Amino acid sequence: MNRTIRKLFSNTSSLVGIVLLFIFIIIAVFAPVIAPPLSDDPYQIPRMSWDIPPQPPGFLMSDNIRDIYVVMGTEIKWDKAICGTAEGGYDIFYGLIWGTRTAFRIGLITVAFAALIGVFIGSISAYFGGWIDEILMRITDIFLSFPFLVAAMVLTTILGRGLDKVMIALITFGWMGYARLIRGSILLAKEEIYVMAAKALGVKDVKIIWKHLLPNTIFPVMVQATMNIGSMVITAAALSFLGVGAPVGYADWGQMVSFARNWIIGSPGHAGQYWYTVFYPGIFIVLFVLAWNLVGDTLRDILDPRLRGEL
Amino acid sequence: MINDRKLLLAVKDLKTYFFTEDGVVKAVDGVDFEVYQGETLGIVGESGCGKSVTAFSILRLLDYPGKTVGGEVIFKGENLLKKTEDEMRGIRGKEIAIIFQEPMTALNPVLTIGFQIAEALMMHFEISKKEALKKSVELLKKVGIPIPEQRVNEYPHQLSGGMRQRAMIAMAMSCDPILLIADEPTTALDVTIQAQILDLMMALLREFDGSLIMITHDLGVIAEIADRIAIMYAGKVVEYADKKTIFHHPLHPYTLGLLTSIPRLDVEMKRLNVIPGIVPNPLHFPSGCKFNPRCQFATDRCKKEEPSLIKIEEGHLVRCWNVDKVVKEVKKGFLVGV
Amino acid sequence: MLSYIIRRLLLLPIILFGVTFLLFCVFSLLSPTARLATYITDASTLRNPEMVQRLITKHHLNDPFPLGYIHWIKKILKGDMGWSQAANQPVWEAIKQRFPATLELVLYSIIPVILVGIWLGVISAVHHNDMLDQTIRVTAIIGWSLPTFIFGLFVLFIFYGILGWLPPGRLSFWSQDIVYTGTNFRSYTHLVTIDALLNGNIPIFLDALRHLIAPIITLSYISWAFLLRITRSSMLDTLRKDYVRTARSKGVDEHTVIHLHAQKNAMIPVVTIAGMQIIGMLGGVVITETVFTYPGVGYWAASAAQQLDYSSVIGFAVLFATFMIVGNLIVDVSYALIDPRVRLE
Repeated sequence: MNRTIRKLFSNTSSLVGIVLLFIFIIIAVFAPVIAPPLSDDPYQIPRMSWDIPPQPPGFLMSDNIRDIYVVMGTEIKWDKAICGTAEGGYDIFYGLIWGTRTAFRIGLITVAFAALIGVFIGSISAYFGGWIDEILMRITDIFLSFPFLVAAMVLTTILGRGLDKVMIALITFGWMGYARLIRGSILLAKEEIYVMAAKALGVKDVKIIWKHLLPNTIFPVMVQATMNIGSMVITAAALSFLGVGAPVGYADWGQMVSFARNWIIGSPGHAGQYWYTVFYPGIFIVLFVLAWNLVGDTLRDILDPRLRGEL
Repeated sequence: MINDRKLLLAVKDLKTYFFTEDGVVKAVDGVDFEVYQGETLGIVGESGCGKSVTAFSILRLLDYPGKTVGGEVIFKGENLLKKTEDEMRGIRGKEIAIIFQEPMTALNPVLTIGFQIAEALMMHFEISKKEALKKSVELLKKVGIPIPEQRVNEYPHQLSGGMRQRAMIAMAMSCDPILLIADEPTTALDVTIQAQILDLMMALLREFDGSLIMITHDLGVIAEIADRIAIMYAGKVVEYADKKTIFHHPLHPYTLGLLTSIPRLDVEMKRLNVIPGIVPNPLHFPSGCKFNPRCQFATDRCKKEEPSLIKIEEGHLVRCWNVDKVVKEVKKGFLVGV
Repeated sequence: MLSYIIRRLLLLPIILFGVTFLLFCVFSLLSPTARLATYITDASTLRNPEMVQRLITKHHLNDPFPLGYIHWIKKILKGDMGWSQAANQPVWEAIKQRFPATLELVLYSIIPVILVGIWLGVISAVHHNDMLDQTIRVTAIIGWSLPTFIFGLFVLFIFYGILGWLPPGRLSFWSQDIVYTGTNFRSYTHLVTIDALLNGNIPIFLDALRHLIAPIITLSYISWAFLLRITRSSMLDTLRKDYVRTARSKGVDEHTVIHLHAQKNAMIPVVTIAGMQIIGMLGGVVITETVFTYPGVGYWAASAAQQLDYSSVIGFAVLFATFMIVGNLIVDVSYALIDPRVRLE
């Protein structure tokens, strides 16, 4: 364990990943301070204007919106869109900050549940073997026959819009990798000499599982999970980009990019004038996913020599 | 020249180091021996003493981060270490061939046996693929593989362990090399097959008066087939002499230890003799003579100064400060019947 | 190996059944009325409750599960996947019309995947050094951290927004006129680039190519970045194997050692993964086509999803799931064919 932590910090790329993650965690934790919500639902991005076209960075809240807040009696804690606004006047900066929380929520929850389901199914399959194994593996194959995005699309269309439906879709089609992984590990471990040795010595089954099987099978799952957090967030963002994920105005990076497609070209004579609508949420998505991938990749390298039986 | 035999290969003070992240590993650090035409040299030593690396160094087959940093390898009068890669390619497989320890991993799993045997022929001679494959079939027959016409199109995994090693021999001998290096060729095989393989190699070499370097840790095999023996320890040759001398008049404590640790049926033994201690870690060699921590004759000088290889008499080299003590020990009669 | 292939072939209908059944279950989460709407072209029929009931029974939408599934599958096999609101035509027609565009895109995208992913992977392994190692590794990691839609938007921004070189869509207006309405143009394959060449029309060929470049780059990036890394490490691993040393010991020239002895072995896992990546690109077309408004099935499916056009989305899923299953089968079988250890069990 200590060796793992040491290696994680000594490797440049994973160090970058860890630092990035740390920054994101800070942003997520201090979101209410960095970007105070202006309404009851902090995940609803405040609008700076009613205008459709995005506004450039530095834009000040328009008067008609200001009036509404005054009428409602809400304190206007801030009024400048430092990163500009997206289509419909939604403040980009606010979306970035609270979107961090959304990203963590999506990533961690979907991966946690998908891993749990996967590990459960895979363990049962490996433990019982025979018919149960066949059936469960065929079911896994069936789920694997859908391109991930397509499957998620189908589910979100049927279930309806919303980030929670997106998460259900991601979990429903995200567990298979873990099932196969743990099943493979357990099957291998069952044959391993050390398990047979322990059994021969009379060690109880439960103890064998706890001390021998579990540690060697859980680590690959953890590595896989770390690497999957990134792809889950990407797929959720993609779904929001396509318009079937988070509702308009929700603090989700993917959602913020969804309208950007229309504005990316800019207006005649001003190519790329709306760059900020894509750049800011885009860079956040990329860095967030990159961070998890860097850490996961290094974890995987640490795992590799152990898999090959060296050191 | 000894006994009117031509000198084929002379290795002088060969040094091959591995420049790893954890430090420099001096895998071969002073190896000297001579191989005469038509003779067999046995290189004996425990695992990790540098036997295989020596073999690879001769043919210059070292993988990164290994590098031969010193010494000479004089083959047919020319120093192989000074040759270009092109020249070496002309020698490999044609004049000097090598058989590896583990035939399952040494053979390419996705190429047919026939092709792998024919390949050396096609490399070194102006011969069509068809002819080369025909020769492969003949070679397979020669090494004793039944139904060779069928086997020639099969893949390594379809053969048994013994047959694979025979196929390797066929592959190595395809161009009638004058020198064959066998790196523990029988270690991975059943004892019953070992004898067959050894006989096969000897028979093939005898056909054209070829020489053999047999690398092994098995003294029994050496006793059978070697004419001359080089004992290696921690990357160095510690004793080199002909078979009779080694077995009856050894001069190095390690050699003595090896010989006395062979279990005997004719003499009553309460306990097996062992050489105490273990082979040193190449990254942390002891100072002075590398064998001194395990040596029963070690003196202070041994702990500080590394002995060099000294010619005791014609054809007998030893690397030790206390040769006289060993002679005394041998005289005590420990080697009766060996 | 024969038994392996037979086993996979026997599993095929089971998997197809499972996939379609799963889709049917998801579809059945909707109310019978909602499902009925997908088969009806004229929305006014829904206002008549009696009519609605009759039609529900006629289409077996209220039947118990197994029966409902059977009727649904029967309809699909006859080509009736319902009505696509997004395309204003039957789903099957919508797919038939738009599929060639997607096929063209995917086929061309295979080229960079193989060229850069595999070919470059082998070369980079042979010229192994740490600097290159890190660069490739970083490129690959950025590749799979960069969502397709962000990358696509970026490409669109640079190459169209700023430079104006690579416009979105499939063809410019003037070529569309000729290809779709003109009398001089025969569409043999419906793959515009091929048809243009067959018609001897170079300007259209170039125009089509111009529109394809940006989507190809976008669609293939993640695939080849991943493949590059896998090929490189497979090759590096293989080059360290004992049999490579054996080949050298026979005096085999370095070129043959690398490209015959090593590569043949290294390619075995790579080919499998390459196959899966290419199949995976099927999922990527949805995003890519949307970003570049490329009129293929992916674009249609995305807009259908947005409009809650259930039949289109389900039809699309059935299609792509079938491709994936068949694709996986092909990949599995070719693996068995390539590796003699599996082929000759």
